[in-house]
Amino acid sequence: MSAEAPRLGFLRTTAFRVTLLHLALTLLGTLALAAVVWWATVGYATRQAAQGIERDTAVLLQAGALSGLAGVRLSVEARLAADRSGLDHYLLAAPDGTRLAGNLASAPREPGWRSLGLERRGAEGAAPAPLMALATRLPGGAVLVVARDLSPVAQLEERLLAAAGWVGGAALLLGLLGGLVVGRGVARRAAVMGAALDRVQAGDLGRRLSVAGSDEFDRLAERINATLDRLESAMAALRQVTDDIAHDLRTPLSRLRQRLEGATRSGASAETWRAEAAVAIAECDAILDLFAALLRIAQVESGAGLRQGFGRFDLSAVAESVTEAYAPLAEERDQRLVATVPPGVAGFGDRSLVAQMLANLLENAVRHGRAGGCVALALRSGPPGGGPEVTVEDDGPGIPAAERERVFGRFVRLDAARATPGSGLGLALVRAVAGLHGASVALEDARPGLPAPGLRVVVRFPPAAPA
Amino acid sequence: MKILIVEDDAETAAYIARGLREAGHLADIAPDGQDGLFLGTTGRYEVMVVDRMLPKLDGLSLVRALRAAGVTTPALFLTARAGVGDRVEGLEAGGDDYLGKPFAFAELMARLNALARRPPPRAAEPTLLRVGDLEMDLIRRTVARGGRRIELQPREFRLLEYLMRRAGEVVTRTMLLEGVWDFHFDPKTSVVETHVSRLRAKIDRDFAQPLLHTVRGAGYVVRADPGPESE
Repeated sequence: MSAEAPRLGFLRTTAFRVTLLHLALTLLGTLALAAVVWWATVGYATRQAAQGIERDTAVLLQAGALSGLAGVRLSVEARLAADRSGLDHYLLAAPDGTRLAGNLASAPREPGWRSLGLERRGAEGAAPAPLMALATRLPGGAVLVVARDLSPVAQLEERLLAAAGWVGGAALLLGLLGGLVVGRGVARRAAVMGAALDRVQAGDLGRRLSVAGSDEFDRLAERINATLDRLESAMAALRQVTDDIAHDLRTPLSRLRQRLEGATRSGASAETWRAEAAVAIAECDAILDLFAALLRIAQVESGAGLRQGFGRFDLSAVAESVTEAYAPLAEERDQRLVATVPPGVAGFGDRSLVAQMLANLLENAVRHGRAGGCVALALRSGPPGGGPEVTVEDDGPGIPAAERERVFGRFVRLDAARATPGSGLGLALVRAVAGLHGASVALEDARPGLPAPGLRVVVRFPPAAPA
Repeated sequence: MKILIVEDDAETAAYIARGLREAGHLADIAPDGQDGLFLGTTGRYEVMVVDRMLPKLDGLSLVRALRAAGVTTPALFLTARAGVGDRVEGLEAGGDDYLGKPFAFAELMARLNALARRPPPRAAEPTLLRVGDLEMDLIRRTVARGGRRIELQPREFRLLEYLMRRAGEVVTRTMLLEGVWDFHFDPKTSVVETHVSRLRAKIDRDFAQPLLHTVRGAGYVVRADPGPESE
């Protein structure tokens, strides 16, 4: 990289472009202001002079109409005598061009507006004074010229131009300086943020942008930091899941391998082979089920394409058939399965996923509830303005308050539950399905204070969308 | 029956074809979507098995194209993509059933049988189902065997109706979970077994000839004559 690169790089930055734009606007603003001032001063004075000339000409013409050429001549002389400013100029010329009265040397032959230059006496070499003149032909062929010296207006114009030049120049300079300062500041902060992000990209996921104040850059930095937080935790979760899968699948896979290896070694009969193969298939199915559950959780968590399929369904019917599905399992464990399901409670969402969520909750309750105890499922239509509510409770060991968040993770199995069968994916799916439906899941003690407090899971659905 | 297998994985295709031939069926294999479309339009098949992810023309588009061409051969999607929305997508494209990979061969066989014998869509809905001396009146929602009225719970009625509509066909546990309970997941309980045994107690216990048979490793079947597969 050449040493020029950063400087040339600055020319391409947003800061530089903003500076240029700022300069152009400043210039335009200065020009507009100058034009308005010019119109209001020089323009006004010039128009005033023209009106004065017209008025004078009209009065002199009237004098001519009343008392002829002599009247005009008298009037012109009277005016010249009365003028103290030295700015009024007149000429009355006979048809042959001879001056009859006035202080102008010669007259234009044609009537109409003229701009004349007047040589100033006693100021040789200086620029002639600018005159604005109106020539009028009188009846009889004489010519009357009324003129005003515009020198004061010209001086005003000159000063205005100079002032506009100074102000414009200063504005440009200040704008350029300001733009450079602001631009460099912006560029520097962008560079600092970029450098920090480079480190994140290089693998330092814990790196965060510094937030000093509360301007838009700080707010941007905060949002980038929040995104990085989210990314970091997602990465951590992903790593956790990968580790978990690697670990949780290795166990059944190595068991499967051992079994197959053992079967190969022994000189087993066809009958034994068949039995071993059947067990191996069952173990494969268990592993595949685990995969399917993981995929389903991932799919539900991402929510991809599932909400379009949402609709109204009979939540009461779902609760009933799920309860019925778990009745045999509860019977095996001598449990009473009590369902309180009022008819006609409507749910909104994916019927099949809600069914699976309730199935997972009941399966947990039956598995972890006391053998010979009681498991209950209750459906309520919910308070006005709220959605339906499903409660599933058991009389098992429950979940200590400190663990209640953790159990929603994948493959999380509390020590107390290690002895019972299960994948540790049930509650993860429950949370994913609830999340998809905007429902909340709360865990609490079913029978607080008792040595086996049991677990009560309350799923609160949001009010169903209008049909 | 003649079955078309559209599957790009040679091993899976050969495995399915071998199983079908052993069961006495004829099976042709199309290794990609284009061949599948060509063979499918010949109309020589009673049912077809279609993988969803295929080279040249994917399974969904294949079945859509066949349906657009007026081919009504029942199609079963067989796919590793058995996600929540994928099943609905497959059925909407014109598929008749959906089975996720991996699958048990008995499950595939039972579903293909069910599809191949599905009555033409415009056939009049029967109001009375009969298997042997067992009768189900679908209008009055009553069941009688040998003229004797049998009282069934609503779920048992639906279970028996599902089985009687497919009399003579093997129905798997998964098909029952989907068709009777509307569960598209496995609740890992013996709910099917429990209901089948209760149902069997009501319709078979007092009679010499059993009608509801268990087919080992596959599922259940309702039929009047004891088949070779039943225990």
